[in-house]
Amino acid sequence: MTAPGARIQRPRAASPLPGTRRPRRRSRLVWRPTLVALAFLSPALIGLVLLRLAPAVVAFWQSLQGGGILSGGEHFVGLDNYVELFSSADFIGSLLVTLLFTVIINPVQVAIAFLLAVLYTRRAAGSGFWRSLVILPIAVPPAVSAVIWSVIYRPDGLGNAFLGMLGLPAQPFLTSPTQSLTAIMVLLSWVGVGYWMLFLIAGINDVPTELYEAASLDGASAWRQLWTITFPLVRRPLAFVLVADTVSNFLVFAPVQILTKGGPEGSTNLLMHDIFNRAYTLGDLNTAQAEVIILVLLTLAIVAVQFRLLKSEDAA
Amino acid sequence: MRRVSLALVALSATAALALSGCSASSSDPGSADGSVVKLLGAEDPATFAPVISAFEAENKGTTVKYTQVPFDQLSSTLQQRLAAKDKDIDVYTVDQPNVSQLAAQGFLEDLSDLKDQAKKATTPEQYSVNVYQDKLWALSVWNSTQMMFVNNDALAKAGIAAPTANPAERWTWEQTVDAGKAAQAAGSKWGLLFEQVEGYYQLQPLAESLGGGSGITGKDMLTADVTNPGWTKAMQWYADLYSNNVSPRGVGGFQTSPVFADGDVPFFIGGPWDVGKFAENAKFNWSVVPMPAFAGGKAVTPNGSWSWGINPASDHKDAAKKFLEFAALNPAGNLATTEKTTIIPANTEAQAKYLPTLEALGGTHSAGVADLITEEIKTTAVPRPVSVGYVQFESMMNKAFADIRNGSPVEARLKDAQSQIEAAWKKLR
Amino acid sequence: MSVTVTRRPRRLRTGYLLLSLVGALIGLAFLLPLWWTLVNSLRPGSDTFAFLNPLSWQTFFTLSPNLDNYVTLLSGDLGRAIGNSLFISVVTVVAGLLICAMAAFGLSAIPFRGRGAIFGIVILSFLIPFDAIAIPLADMFRDWNLQNTFIGLILPGIGNGMAIFLIRTFFLAIPTELVEAARLDGLGWWGVFRRIYLPLSRPALIGAGLTLFLFQWQAYMWPLLMGTDQNHIVGPVALSNLQGQFNVDYGVMFAASVILTLIPLLIIMICQRYFIQSVSTSGLK
Repeated sequence: MTAPGARIQRPRAASPLPGTRRPRRRSRLVWRPTLVALAFLSPALIGLVLLRLAPAVVAFWQSLQGGGILSGGEHFVGLDNYVELFSSADFIGSLLVTLLFTVIINPVQVAIAFLLAVLYTRRAAGSGFWRSLVILPIAVPPAVSAVIWSVIYRPDGLGNAFLGMLGLPAQPFLTSPTQSLTAIMVLLSWVGVGYWMLFLIAGINDVPTELYEAASLDGASAWRQLWTITFPLVRRPLAFVLVADTVSNFLVFAPVQILTKGGPEGSTNLLMHDIFNRAYTLGDLNTAQAEVIILVLLTLAIVAVQFRLLKSEDAA
Repeated sequence: MRRVSLALVALSATAALALSGCSASSSDPGSADGSVVKLLGAEDPATFAPVISAFEAENKGTTVKYTQVPFDQLSSTLQQRLAAKDKDIDVYTVDQPNVSQLAAQGFLEDLSDLKDQAKKATTPEQYSVNVYQDKLWALSVWNSTQMMFVNNDALAKAGIAAPTANPAERWTWEQTVDAGKAAQAAGSKWGLLFEQVEGYYQLQPLAESLGGGSGITGKDMLTADVTNPGWTKAMQWYADLYSNNVSPRGVGGFQTSPVFADGDVPFFIGGPWDVGKFAENAKFNWSVVPMPAFAGGKAVTPNGSWSWGINPASDHKDAAKKFLEFAALNPAGNLATTEKTTIIPANTEAQAKYLPTLEALGGTHSAGVADLITEEIKTTAVPRPVSVGYVQFESMMNKAFADIRNGSPVEARLKDAQSQIEAAWKKLR
Repeated sequence: MSVTVTRRPRRLRTGYLLLSLVGALIGLAFLLPLWWTLVNSLRPGSDTFAFLNPLSWQTFFTLSPNLDNYVTLLSGDLGRAIGNSLFISVVTVVAGLLICAMAAFGLSAIPFRGRGAIFGIVILSFLIPFDAIAIPLADMFRDWNLQNTFIGLILPGIGNGMAIFLIRTFFLAIPTELVEAARLDGLGWWGVFRRIYLPLSRPALIGAGLTLFLFQWQAYMWPLLMGTDQNHIVGPVALSNLQGQFNVDYGVMFAASVILTLIPLLIIMICQRYFIQSVSTSGLK
């Protein structure tokens, strides 16, 4: 990562000069920065266009093709694949499950990640160590975290053993259409909140400690400080976490694939799992790509709404 | 992120280039002194080491290189790589019901000139699974069947006499469930458990036993038929296992055989591979008996395992064919494929040599297994249907099994499955 | 801080204790499932499900730990796979961080027309699910003869829209006055990037580095599509290969996953200290 022992050069210009905005000649101002910026941007842009956007365009083109192995060869079918998707009850079900999932899991995960970040940035014994434990699950291979949770959720598994210890009745977890989605969300939060917490900790550490000291002297409670100082000042990292978390949750499929295969009764059939199943198991690449395009548009719409909401508070 | 790391970038980029350069040049060793046959499969490399070295000893100058792909991703990986005409695959293992689809897609080399030899080498069922549109596309290497494993201690506790290994004294499912319930009353956690709780391979015999057929009919084998009385009755029986707590919900994947090994269930439906597993892990008195059938129904056992085929894009088809013939048609070669794993060789001659070894694995516990397997393969075996649409069919059916197990109403769920399968098949035409 | 401590020592001490306790409890709760995995990697696979319910001390402890499962792993491909995964991940992190940080700098420090549009492209690229476009991308890579090469495995991880988005978020927090002053002092754009932006955004860079690292460390579908001969096998594929068709030894599988988890854990622990120091001094804000 960062080169060890690199000298941290405190910027020389730490004394901000007021009134530096002296007028410069127009022509230089207009195109020089654009060229410089493009130079900085070009390696990444080439990468993104070649490795993400180009195959996405190919995927879109494929979504307009059809034709099975028996008829031999693909041919252009226009929007047929899309029409077929929207007339399929299974697809509509998958869409609704995905929306429900998105609306619940993202705010919950961001809130938990934020509270954990606040907790683990307070002065407390061993907080660095405990914090590492919360981050740890992100490093576990997805195939293994699915196995672990299948053992927790088994009817005679660890989950019900704990409930029994507390005198609570046993739960069906993944075998019940009403509990399975929640069970998947708990698993995903165990994996993910530590990761998102990491970015919020970085944001919270950027909040000048003087602000808290001043507030303490004014007699503001810790709870009040949290909402009046910490929250507004980490709005930008929070916005990032919300958007990035939303996108990642749209792309979840490994635990669903391993634990429930979308069931029971389609209750956990998230779009990305449906896509994966269609493309890799059923081999219906064309319809799968149509589904990808729909998923990307859906994500785009939700992220656009998030940006708009956040922008009104000057976040981006 | 300074000079050090910039140097690192340069260094690692060069290293990457160097490494990829090396491997690019080494991945295609010239065919100066013979050729290299590349085999792709889902087994541990140790499994195929004996057959590979036996082949290499007989065919000096030809080497076989094996690549393992995880089992759960094998068919999707094959689909993508064969479609791209990947030359890094010469011979590959094919799950038998997928033969027709792969053949229809043009991903298998026509082996029809081997028809006579192939017919002689194995059972009629194991020959027919490799035939699509009157042509032979693959050769059977492994075969399988299912049996019932019994925890005799648990039955003794309930005062029930255990079934025997004699197929003529095959138990009925009704009898098995009653005995299982009695064992539960006597302290057993569960009554009966299938190894592949949501797998078509193990559940097909239930419907077949009641005359429901495989679920696929029609001249082109693209008509779904899973709502007939046979299927409905069989699946209702299966659903009742779970709603009556005879079988556990939520235990799946590879977690079923430990339930038997831990002594928590008196009856377990499993395969030959479980003989070795239980010989190692089960610390009670167990035995192996025939898979039950429904009262008044037909005795049916699952059948089939893996065939091997040749990639039409291969550059080494002749050498590949030689290797394939060795592994499937040559009894010694076929036997070598099962040296390191517990699975039945498909070659009849190799099977006869192999079964006594299998029976010896479990000592007195597995007494009679060799005869039982021979008999089941000869008389009760029903292979999975040969259809270009099998992949879609199996995927939809497995989902339906999972839902039925978790309590979905049987009739409605089968009807859903039927229409889902038909929708998926429409895309093939 | 010392002022407050002397003023309200009692309240602070109970607060300190309470926070420590809550922090510890939550940390342990997150650890518990992994602890169970660790314990089961130290006993034979046949015992994995033996102590599930009811809970007993044996569920979470074993008196006879042994390393047999780890010894079994030595004979397989895992060692080589971990080496390959580490190599791929480290190259991706180093090259990816540089490329992404440069892009983020271009998007945050230098005002120019069309910035919004380019940011839009970045966001769009990270909304596209990689596993879904892997199939067309694999076809492109095969045309470029990249199958079974490290370049083919590394490249898709390098341009990462989320990393750019993340670093940009933190770059935006750096006051523009600082840039203007530095420019007046004669510092070029590269200098501003290297001497001001990079050192001031270390937590973000570490976070982005972790994102890039995990993308490659957990890559599964892509390596399978690109070909995984024994020279190019990666960790998750080797792990899945342990899961046979008829059988899986959970003891061995858990041992492998403990090893696959330990390496990112070590990296996270090492990077922790950079998070603890608040990087931007308060004078800057």
